[in-house]
Amino acid sequence: MRLKIASYLLVIGAAAVPALAHHSFAAEFDGKKTVKLEGTLTKLEWTNPHIWIYVDVKDESGTPVKWQCEGGPPNTLTRNGWTKDSLKIGDQVTIEGWLAKDGSKTCNARSVKLPSGQAVFAGSSNNEYK
Amino acid sequence: MWARVTLLTIAVSLAFAVAPAFGQKFKPPEGPTPRTADGKPDLSGVWDLPYVPDMSKTNGNQHGVAELPLTEWGQSQWKNYHPEDGDYTGACLPFGLVRSINSPMPMQIVQNSKYISMNFEVDNWFLIVPIDGRKHRDQVATWAGDSVGHWEGDTLVIDTENFNGRTRLDTIGHPHSDQLHVIQRWTRTDLGHIAVEMTIDDPKTYTKPWKNTRTFTLRPDWEIMEYSCEENNKSLWEGRIKVPKY
Repeated sequence: MRLKIASYLLVIGAAAVPALAHHSFAAEFDGKKTVKLEGTLTKLEWTNPHIWIYVDVKDESGTPVKWQCEGGPPNTLTRNGWTKDSLKIGDQVTIEGWLAKDGSKTCNARSVKLPSGQAVFAGSSNNEYK
Repeated sequence: MWARVTLLTIAVSLAFAVAPAFGQKFKPPEGPTPRTADGKPDLSGVWDLPYVPDMSKTNGNQHGVAELPLTEWGQSQWKNYHPEDGDYTGACLPFGLVRSINSPMPMQIVQNSKYISMNFEVDNWFLIVPIDGRKHRDQVATWAGDSVGHWEGDTLVIDTENFNGRTRLDTIGHPHSDQLHVIQRWTRTDLGHIAVEMTIDDPKTYTKPWKNTRTFTLRPDWEIMEYSCEENNKSLWEGRIKVPKY
């Protein structure tokens, strides 16, 4: 579970910018800096205006590093069939998204996947960009 | 500006590409336009609003104007807009009329012979509009402006002015001033749809009035849910979003 960070000039696979429901994506996140996190879920906040997903990601020395990622609004996710129990503490997840501009270990999640490849909370982008 | 527009365009386009992967496409109910006891079209219901993050674009049933006719002042406001320096929506300040209607969340309309109420899910704001033909009120300028409505045949015309000028029209940040005047024409064309024509008239920001059209779709299977911007606004509390200085 190594931390993988990559930056691209264009956003590839930018299917979801859930933060737009609440505020301007560009106010907080950098659409040119993508991140892929593989880690263990430690907390899920199913709250307005956005859910927050907390993961421990091991760095190259094996030390857990705490990350937090913003997801979609709970209302939109609920209408798409997701609940706060769609993920459980301890689940291994892969999150892809964009980094916060302030350099903190914060991201905007465009996809969250379980080891099986099943996407979780994927409905937010669908609904918000209909 | 180009980067902002390009990023948004790519994101929206790709999202459309993946949309069919999630769930079944909703089919709105069919039938004639419902009417109230006094014979007016009844606009009541929970309505799915098309998300319009950029009013210069056309997406789905929403049609924008590609080249917005910005004045010199408008160009300056547009070119110098940097949401990372201050984002009023992220700071939970009122979205304002146009950006509320442009939001991706539904709105419930409640109507009687004197008033129509727009109950937005986004931040749970509401707007009560008299529709009995009265004139604008003389009051302090507000985020959402002062709205009055009247019927022209089967079309409800909502006229809004007296904005405080502190909002943006859409997520990408198209500007307006306190001279903004918005005229909306809402026509419930059948049971499942309201056709909307919105005219943006703001001589300080735009050289001429321009229009945006869209369709609201009835969602009888939805109810408006609680949506509190303040509940867990970590982005603001942790300093990644800043409160704008007006």
